[in-house]
Amino acid sequence: MSAVPDSRFVFLVHPFTGAVRRAAALRTARPRLGLGLRPQPTIDDARPICRLVLETPDRLVEGVVVTVPMLPEQLLDDQEAALAMMRAAVARAGGAVDVVGLGSLLAVVAGRGSALQQHLWQPVTTGAAATAWAAAENAKAAAKGLGVWPHGSMAVLGHRGTVGTAVVELLQADGATRLHVAARDGQARRARAQGLVPFDDEAAAAAGCLVVVGASTTGGILHPRALTRGAVLVDVAIPRTLSGPARRGTRVLAGEAVLPPRTYRQGRWGSVYHLLAGYGPAHLFACLVEPMIMAAEGRTQPFAQGRRVSSQALRDIRRLAPAWGFEPVLANHWRSVTPGRLRAHHHP
Amino acid sequence: MDLPSHVDPKTFEIVRSCFAEALGLDDDEVEYDSKVIDDLGAESLDLLDIVYRLERAFDIRIPRGGIEKVTREGLEKGDVYEVNGILTELALEKLSAAMPEVPREEFRPGLKVSEVPFLFRVATFYGLVVSLLEGGEQG
Repeated sequence: MSAVPDSRFVFLVHPFTGAVRRAAALRTARPRLGLGLRPQPTIDDARPICRLVLETPDRLVEGVVVTVPMLPEQLLDDQEAALAMMRAAVARAGGAVDVVGLGSLLAVVAGRGSALQQHLWQPVTTGAAATAWAAAENAKAAAKGLGVWPHGSMAVLGHRGTVGTAVVELLQADGATRLHVAARDGQARRARAQGLVPFDDEAAAAAGCLVVVGASTTGGILHPRALTRGAVLVDVAIPRTLSGPARRGTRVLAGEAVLPPRTYRQGRWGSVYHLLAGYGPAHLFACLVEPMIMAAEGRTQPFAQGRRVSSQALRDIRRLAPAWGFEPVLANHWRSVTPGRLRAHHHP
Repeated sequence: MDLPSHVDPKTFEIVRSCFAEALGLDDDEVEYDSKVIDDLGAESLDLLDIVYRLERAFDIRIPRGGIEKVTREGLEKGDVYEVNGILTELALEKLSAAMPEVPREEFRPGLKVSEVPFLFRVATFYGLVVSLLEGGEQG
């Protein structure tokens, strides 16, 4: 097996806290930033932090995770600076790069990948298609485990957003017949035309549903008491859907968690990255799947960029991700939760 | 679509296309008085994208929380903007003055801070762009 990768992707990430930024800066030999002696990052601080590998008998895919050392507030405050930092980060990956993937807020700021695409020849993909795929599969698994698939009521909060729209499309394509959404006035008419069941607000949409998908981009939109007893909230990415801790008798599970195949290796620093990114040792977040599969397949069309995820991209990710061994999994922090356990939990 | 007489059609067309691109809509689906969330289906991340596109198109910097920030800064020392997330009567008056395109009756007692974005029209952003251009707030 040749040590030279057949294809290579870059995955851009950012720290969520100052502490994680300082840890990454120490890893990347930026001591002044790491020791808090320089609060503002510069483009020179965008550095690789670890290497990830997908290795099959006939293909070696290498990924380089590069940190964009801007905190969430900084990314939101100055999207042009975020774009400049992302461009620098891609340049610092070293070597040839075939695909660029964006993580967390980097997938959202500066035009959801579209502004960065204008500066790069490599395809830029935001992870929204894989996130929707994982969330829909996990929601379906939860619904099957609780005995409400496909005709029981399920709620999809944030159904008009990029990921929410795609989740609705996937669930309906698989046969879900009663999807509750929050939609008023003109949006309610549009929802009915799509075969959805509109309610005035999120609490009303979630009421009585044993499975609620939280795909809204606004955090804290659902009070914990709005989840019916026995319900599972399949929470997709940040921000968190509930405005407080889940109450007893309900569960919140990560909707975008994915089990990687045995061909995936992360190395020592990759393990540290997994830990700091909140993946835990055994999972990935779905957004990382897109650039990895694109590099493995030699695909040049992004799965997701901009606001909409195409139906074709959803079909493609549903076919390709399992083919490469990726499997959505309901996750409670670092532990996988099987649908059978859900039924036992709620029906002792 | 008839625009109010004070609206510059060229500026509005640029604002409109920024909304259309950010939301994946056709230009003619975006009207001057469209409610950004209820009519156009925008979510919070869409507002971020809209702001970014407007900043690029007009070479301006739109401060985060622009309208709320301006309103809060317009208060006198000791004035209260909100109590437990509910806007005070004074805040409602200030917001109504800052957003003349929104019917006065929508600034109802009991309105929450979190509900203010639901009042936004495309016109609100048009007004913000124009005020920044006139104030020389280039990017």
